[in-house]
Amino acid sequence: MLIFLSRRLVSSVIALVGVVVVVFFLGRLTGSPAHLYLPQGASQEMADNFNRTHGFNDPLWQQFIRFVGDVAHLDFGTSIWQQRPALTAVTSVFPQTLLLAVVAMTLSIAVAAVLGCLAAARRFGPVDKLITFGSLACASIPDFWFALVGVLFLAVHLGVVPTSGQSDLSSWILPVATLMLAPVGVLTQVVRGAMIEALGSGYVQSARARGLAHRRLVYRHALRNAALPIISVAGDRAAGLVNGAVIVGTVFAWPGIGTVMVDAVLNRDFAVIQAGVFVIGLGIVLLNVLVDLTYAVADPRVRVS
Amino acid sequence: MLSTRRRPLAVAAGGIAVLLAAACSPGGDAQAGRTGGSAQTLTIAIPTDPTSLDPCDSQAADGVGTLRRNVTESLTDVDPGTGKVVPLLALSWRQENPTTWTFKLRPGVKFQDGTAFDAKAAAFNIKRTMQPDLGCLNLGNIPDPFTATAVDTTTLRVVTKGPDPILPLRIGWVDMVSPKTSMTAKTSHPVGTGPYTFVRRTPGTDMRFKRFDGYWGSKPQAREVRYVFRSEASVRAATAKTGEADIAVPIALQDATEDERTRSYTQSRVFFLRLDTDKPPLNDLRVRQAIGYAIDKKNIVTALMGRTGKPTDQMVAPTVNGYVTGYKGPAHDPAKAKALIGQAKSAGVDTGRRIELISRNTLFPGSSDVLQAIIQNLKDVGLDIKLTELDDNAYKDKIHATNSSGQPVSMMAVSHDNAFADASFSFPKYLSSSGTVSTIRDARLDSLLRQADVAAGGKRAQLYQRAARWAYERNGAIVPIAEQFSLLLLSKGVDYKPNGLTGIELPAAQVKLGR
Repeated sequence: MLIFLSRRLVSSVIALVGVVVVVFFLGRLTGSPAHLYLPQGASQEMADNFNRTHGFNDPLWQQFIRFVGDVAHLDFGTSIWQQRPALTAVTSVFPQTLLLAVVAMTLSIAVAAVLGCLAAARRFGPVDKLITFGSLACASIPDFWFALVGVLFLAVHLGVVPTSGQSDLSSWILPVATLMLAPVGVLTQVVRGAMIEALGSGYVQSARARGLAHRRLVYRHALRNAALPIISVAGDRAAGLVNGAVIVGTVFAWPGIGTVMVDAVLNRDFAVIQAGVFVIGLGIVLLNVLVDLTYAVADPRVRVS
Repeated sequence: MLSTRRRPLAVAAGGIAVLLAAACSPGGDAQAGRTGGSAQTLTIAIPTDPTSLDPCDSQAADGVGTLRRNVTESLTDVDPGTGKVVPLLALSWRQENPTTWTFKLRPGVKFQDGTAFDAKAAAFNIKRTMQPDLGCLNLGNIPDPFTATAVDTTTLRVVTKGPDPILPLRIGWVDMVSPKTSMTAKTSHPVGTGPYTFVRRTPGTDMRFKRFDGYWGSKPQAREVRYVFRSEASVRAATAKTGEADIAVPIALQDATEDERTRSYTQSRVFFLRLDTDKPPLNDLRVRQAIGYAIDKKNIVTALMGRTGKPTDQMVAPTVNGYVTGYKGPAHDPAKAKALIGQAKSAGVDTGRRIELISRNTLFPGSSDVLQAIIQNLKDVGLDIKLTELDDNAYKDKIHATNSSGQPVSMMAVSHDNAFADASFSFPKYLSSSGTVSTIRDARLDSLLRQADVAAGGKRAQLYQRAARWAYERNGAIVPIAEQFSLLLLSKGVDYKPNGLTGIELPAAQVKLGR
């Protein structure tokens, strides 16, 4: 297992380095942000001075070598926009995004597990049809539309939650619901499919014949055996929460990495973009390791193999 | 000890408890409430985090002023009602000779860090703003940098390179910061003489000021000011509707309420097209004039811009001294446009060549729809137009490319404001041969603009108006579409009367809180 994990870590780190390098070059393709930070009518001398100060006038390969050297010391440079170390700008907000993602994903898995099991246990019945319809609707509704309608209905018309920002618990309802929307829809379908297969297998029939209680059979035996595909999809959806963080940051002004990354892109703040991509990439690598470990917990055969 | 069967439940319960505890911990918006904060806090919802917090970049307010007249002040200001220059940190001024001015400064003024504001501090700020290495955005309004020396504690002498009759107006773009501020690096913690002290900015979340007890003027009502950043226009408007913010500015037309809580204001802003003049087909005057005739600005503006637009034939608003009263530009006449294009084609001009209409995605709310309608009008008269929308940086690169060699022939969609109402902040940039964003090369126009630049009063206005008329009638590289108005939304019980300066300064002291 340790060897397997080491291999996964090494390949993930290579992928992470690749992403950071690609982002470096793609960012530089957009040119110098001098016009964004200098007055209209700035002389060429002013532009040259700006580029010299921020190292944009050097050949690209020199900029890259300097970047690699700095990143080796975890120095992503200073944010032009925020005027502080880029890594600090990102890490100061990342915990907010992480917390939101953990809450949303935990609730998504819990809700999807219950709904999926209910649907599988009552296959083709009215409850199954209702849950299937609801989950497909959840998976299909665009999250930004849901977020805006949520603000209009729950905040403006009913006044039960704030429109945006982070304050008390009620301010978490709309962002968490927006992030949960697609994962709940997809995961419910995955749980339902895996559970239908598990409930139809021989050991479940045998346990049922021995008189095991229905609830115990579904939630303790079948669900555990159906866990692997659910964990795979849940891991994938969790990585996709980065996209959700951008929506949540933009619509709800949630102080997280989504807002910082969008602002960094708009302000051509290469240092923050690179640090952000690195931190997000690292998060996804660790998430994948976590998924692998969860496989092993859920299915002892994975540990042995 | 828990049994093995119960342990997962206990772990899950513990995890949820930790998450809830964390969720309840103060975050970025910890004090955001349902009622716009306490009775002492003024909350203003604005679209974006300011790009820079250095007061020498206050021109880049993106339509919403935060620091000016709150944290920082300048020597002079403009009365938005009359457009006249009025004293602020300078009590009076006198022109000694065409290039030398003397300013008498207000005594007893202190910066928020306790440093005295005097002539030395004013000279420090002028030197700081003028130095090219700092790259102050406000330099965009000061084409010829000037120098300043302290004569005594309250007397400042300013020397310009050439005659500058509007120096008292122009010097209003030098926002005063404490002399303890770095001369060589921009600051992210501005210290000025205004009624509020800058407290902090939390990037992407909010910015806070608190009342400065040592302020020289009368104390404002709100003890604290908090700007919250809400980039989504409908959410920004919703904050004022629900009372989370006292003011949401600016708001989109579709979010406006029908009552008096929605207030309209002008920034002397005009939306126009700037055409290339050095490549076919736009190097032909007939084609440029045809574009003016082809666009049905009256219908487009009425239908798509509503109360945020008014059709115009000029590139400046009526408040600006270069506005030509009674001037009428080309009326919508597609037949005439087709005839002009036909004449150009007969003369060998490649009128079928594709023209790029370049815009930016933040030009103004709903700008894409307006541009699509314009493109349709132009296609109807036989031109091939393609819309290209860029982000701000790429757009700024393009608008500075006034010589289109190596670039496709294009026209730029421009939304230009002139809050200080002097044509020198508009015409030299867009109409003169040396203008930073001008595609016009016309010796007669250059001569008129040079004369206007050194003239004063009525003569200055007259010369700018002659230059404007010449540019509109003889060149056709500027196609005005609409005078623009912005909207803001007030929460219940809040009163504020926006004016022509609201886009660059929104003094919290002018807002009345009814709680």
